[in-house]
Amino acid sequence: MGFFDNQPDIQHIPEGRIEGIAKVTGSGKYAAEYKVNNQCYGVLVGSSVAAGTIKSISLDDAKQVAGVIDILTHQHKPFVPGFADEAKIKEAHFGLPIFYTDKIYFKGQPIAMVIAETLEEATYAASLVSADYTIDKANVDFDKSHPGIAASNTGKERGSLDSWSNVPYVTEAEYTIQNEVHNPMEMHATIAQWTSDDKLKLYDKNQGVNNVQRTFAKLWNIPTGNIEVISEFVGGGFGSGLRVWPHTFATIMAARQVKRPVKLMLTRPQMFLLVGYRPASWQKIKIGADSNGQFAGIWHIAKHSTSVYENFEDGITRITRMVYKFSNLKTESAIVPLNLSAPTWMRGPGDCTGAFAVECAIDELSYQLKQDPVELRLKNLAIEKDPENGKTWSTNFLNEGIQKGATMINWKNRQPVPGQETDGDWKIGYGMAVGMWGAGRGKAGASIKMQRDGTITVRTAMTDIGTGTGTAMQNIAHDFTGISKNNIKVELGNSNLPPAPSQGGSTGLSSISGAVVATCEALKQKLAGYASLQNDVYKDALAKDILLSDTGISYKANFISYASLWEKNNLDLVEAEASSGPGEERQKFSFCSSAAHFCRVRVHSKTGKVKIDKMVCVVDGGKIVNEKAAANQVSGAAAGGIGMALMEEQPVDTRYGSLVGNDLAGYHFAVNADSPIVEVAFINKPDVNINPTGSKGLGEVGIIGSAAAIANAIYNATGKRLRNLPITPDKILQA
Amino acid sequence: MRPFTLSKPSTISQAVSGKNEAVRYIAGGTNLLDLMKKHISEPDALLDVTTLLSDTVQSAPKGIRIGAMVRNSVAASNSDIRSGFPLVAKAILAGASPQIRNMASMGGNLLQRTRCPYFYDITMPCNKRKPGSGCGAKDGENRMSAVVGYSEHCVAVHPSDLCIALAALDASVIVTGKDQKAIAIPFKDFHRLPGSTPEKDNNLPENAIITSIDIPANAFNKNYAYLKVRDRDSYAFALVSVAAALQLDGLRIREARLASGGVAHKPWRWYEAEQFLKGKEATQATFSQAADIVIKEIKPLSNNGFKLPMLKGAIEVALQNCLTA
Repeated sequence: MGFFDNQPDIQHIPEGRIEGIAKVTGSGKYAAEYKVNNQCYGVLVGSSVAAGTIKSISLDDAKQVAGVIDILTHQHKPFVPGFADEAKIKEAHFGLPIFYTDKIYFKGQPIAMVIAETLEEATYAASLVSADYTIDKANVDFDKSHPGIAASNTGKERGSLDSWSNVPYVTEAEYTIQNEVHNPMEMHATIAQWTSDDKLKLYDKNQGVNNVQRTFAKLWNIPTGNIEVISEFVGGGFGSGLRVWPHTFATIMAARQVKRPVKLMLTRPQMFLLVGYRPASWQKIKIGADSNGQFAGIWHIAKHSTSVYENFEDGITRITRMVYKFSNLKTESAIVPLNLSAPTWMRGPGDCTGAFAVECAIDELSYQLKQDPVELRLKNLAIEKDPENGKTWSTNFLNEGIQKGATMINWKNRQPVPGQETDGDWKIGYGMAVGMWGAGRGKAGASIKMQRDGTITVRTAMTDIGTGTGTAMQNIAHDFTGISKNNIKVELGNSNLPPAPSQGGSTGLSSISGAVVATCEALKQKLAGYASLQNDVYKDALAKDILLSDTGISYKANFISYASLWEKNNLDLVEAEASSGPGEERQKFSFCSSAAHFCRVRVHSKTGKVKIDKMVCVVDGGKIVNEKAAANQVSGAAAGGIGMALMEEQPVDTRYGSLVGNDLAGYHFAVNADSPIVEVAFINKPDVNINPTGSKGLGEVGIIGSAAAIANAIYNATGKRLRNLPITPDKILQA
Repeated sequence: MRPFTLSKPSTISQAVSGKNEAVRYIAGGTNLLDLMKKHISEPDALLDVTTLLSDTVQSAPKGIRIGAMVRNSVAASNSDIRSGFPLVAKAILAGASPQIRNMASMGGNLLQRTRCPYFYDITMPCNKRKPGSGCGAKDGENRMSAVVGYSEHCVAVHPSDLCIALAALDASVIVTGKDQKAIAIPFKDFHRLPGSTPEKDNNLPENAIITSIDIPANAFNKNYAYLKVRDRDSYAFALVSVAAALQLDGLRIREARLASGGVAHKPWRWYEAEQFLKGKEATQATFSQAADIVIKEIKPLSNNGFKLPMLKGAIEVALQNCLTA
């Protein structure tokens, strides 16, 4: 089933997702939904302790279960060249060397994988595996551990701390955020099939098929091209699919061991443990301003948790160095190793965490200064040049975004003194904050296949994790060829297609759009080549002057039908391929996307309940390719921000070295009932330097700053400054 | 999940006689399947009672009888329940999600087990799941735990919203036991406090089956409220919830009902506050005094001290909402 197949006429919903029908009818297949001939099922067994060494594993009961084929453990696994010895393991940078260690680093760490004929048999047998451990003392206590780890400079210090020690307005405060878990709706899953001794086929949930391919080519020491990765439909990622995780590797090992295709789908509880999370963090901000509200300096210290077996740096202070003019700036960070699984990027990684602290601190400063937080920000934005490197921003419309957002939310109705506006037991307040994200772009490839009937298929290896990448590709191909949307199909998420970067860090559209444009031009040029055999005028035709339609090619009013072109040249199918990536513009300019977040909240004074009754998000994502998909991204991110601000929290029990709770009933992310209809607006001005379409990614900026806007609104409503996320009703009542 | 057999008895007497310790009845399965997947309940056999038990609501002058197999969503939209016992409908709709309410049975709702995270994790201590293993929540993650009626052995709360309304309205639970006789258990006696046997949630006689829930006719269908304070606005268990209902003569309170969820091992009636309200004027001051009486009873744990102000506020608001319902 192709990404676009089984597609009824979509003219009545022109901006709908090209894969929408396939998704809602179930015909689009996610990784675990494929059925491979002779497949069997794997289920992982987790350790019951958080630190120590495996003494022995008892498999007898499990092996008695009908249907069990084999059980992988650290004592029984296939040879993996990339894990051959300690040096190789280190060199592989894979993280947890699954089944190649007897050490336990976190509770729930996979210690065995049961492979059986059916999922039910494998699941039951896995429950019968037990182990004896030498138990070491586990530490999962971030709050108690971080003070013992010194922070060091991250990035170059600007000016000095001393030079603003006497400014009249200074805010100094600490901010904390608990672990947050991605939990995309689709659980991570892999089907691994060795089609020959050195050829591997994977159906896998991830955000970048070429990354998966490269990782396993290295570990198995086989050519990259010998691995095919299929990830056509991906049910959400939020960053959890940006790296390759041990469970995928375990599945490949299992397939190797039993010489059959093996399917593994993580359980929901395992989704809390094995595919990353946003690490718990502690931050301290000191920020000062002169009496006009000009920022004098900032000192930002950030620490977050990581695992004991692998370091992860979230980059919390990056945003501090980016948005505003600070002539004095010091950013420091540290990571705190704990007996928990490795954290990873989660939507708006680093910046989301950093922006909560910085944007709240600026809000605090605004009340001290008795200045409007909108005005204070506008006054201090580094709107022309990137303060980190002095380069001119290619475009930066954050000031416009802030002004537009203020109008949309009716900022003028905000009371400058907290706690003034009430409605019965409800207190009402306004808050705002901003988010920014470096607009990246990677080199990406695409190809187009054209049929005699004038229909084309645009293809790339890039995944579409639900962001609308495929739809955008179709829209861009339509814009740059002139072929109607209904005649443009898309194929993606397969490593056999032209290579492309992973879809993450808001770079997907920026990367692929250039490739699609380049490929459209290559197609036009190729068709012009054929056309020139019929009409000399085509010999000098440039791609930009060539028009395609559903029926044929034209140049300077010389029309040739595809039918005639195909017939005259005896063509079957015309293929064009091209790639496109960043170039010199990166030396000249800095690039950013941005968002201005505004909200109005109601806080119930007797129960502590917070209701967000209006939320506005104005985004600069360059030229908007598909407004519906883009707004969908932003409102989803804003809902993520509501969750982050008000409810998302994965507690740990420091006594048992354990997460507490591992289901979606207990781990709360925001649902429709918690969110108003998010009012999204776009600046919609192209960034002409970034790529041929002028569009920039916006998946991250929709959440960066949103939690701060909510916390700031709660302060405006109540006079209570809540610096620890999530701001649950109990914290409101006890503040 | 441990392998089990599934059979479908054709009569209640067949079901009851086929039941023993290693056998469980299954109705909607919305809780039992989770418990089985997590190895908290590992029955040898399941008896499917979905076609066996009444799925109808019968109205009579002396009250209403709700069949044990009536789905939560059906009960919430039943016109007799909505007109005569709207507090029940309101409480149902505050619980779970539409999908779960479509599956969950009324009888099963009473028997759902606590959502304490230590209970659901077999690597953690929990006296309710494994007597003698200790209580992980008592000195641990107990933000959601009890503030009244708990013991050193267990601080879990009953998760139901429906049951709070049923407790407030003095429902009774009709059950059939091994002797094939139907008996009625008053709602206040149905669920238990943990004491030293937290593994027992309720007083349903061993192997008995719930056949219906009876609610006596009452005049609490005009001034009532169900208020649930929770971390998110749908599909979340209560931090605290309040079922409140008043019978008014003008502004004077003739009768009052006040019960809470999220506070105890069983649906909790605030009898003293109800007594206090009786005969008083329905004013904010009265409601505030009633709430003060309630919070005198509660003894928070290490991480749920917030339930004291939250409960006070929720009771005041719920009683106030009774006047505008």
